[in-house]
Amino acid sequence: MLSHFALMVIYALIVSLFFALLWRRERGARVKLFLQMFIGMVGGGLALAWLMYPFPPGPPAPIP
Amino acid sequence: MAEPTREARAAPEERPEPVGNPWVAAVVAWLVPGAGHWYLGRRGRALAFLGLVAASLALGLALHGNLYRPLPGQPLTYLATLGCMGMGLPYFLLRYLAGYSGEVIAPGYEYGTAFILTAGLMNLLLVLDAWDIALGKKD
Repeated sequence: MLSHFALMVIYALIVSLFFALLWRRERGARVKLFLQMFIGMVGGGLALAWLMYPFPPGPPAPIP
Repeated sequence: MAEPTREARAAPEERPEPVGNPWVAAVVAWLVPGAGHWYLGRRGRALAFLGLVAASLALGLALHGNLYRPLPGQPLTYLATLGCMGMGLPYFLLRYLAGYSGEVIAPGYEYGTAFILTAGLMNLLLVLDAWDIALGKKD
């Protein structure tokens, strides 16, 4: 089973690659957009995780 | 009478040349991820898009994510179903042929659902991209 972090990185990788190929045509511009999106998503996710760190996790969600 | 603007005079020369039938491109792009780009001669991009959509879908299935279907009284499931249907043939094969629906108690269920939905939404964007390329609006 992959960890939460690994899944987040894989998701960011797939989505960033997709939009870099879809929205840009030149190699340099693609690399730049890919890095911007990838770092933004992974970094944003980590930043959000740290912001939520002081809050208590609460009870587990019920299984429907 | 007013002089035509520079844009208006230049418009006929700048009208893009269609590179394929946009309807055919859009339909094949929807049915098989990347097929629209393949039809329009963008072979490398077609394979890359196919790989990315397939990877997202495969990961979602491996995590037992939800393949949305409409549920009465839950309007958002209609929207999510449309998003999932964006992946084209794979949605119908998985739903009707394989009987796949996901496993709500699986540890990766929520993540898997996100990956499956993303695969459908990415393919919808590919349909629009193929349409624009076919009309000559994009390269």
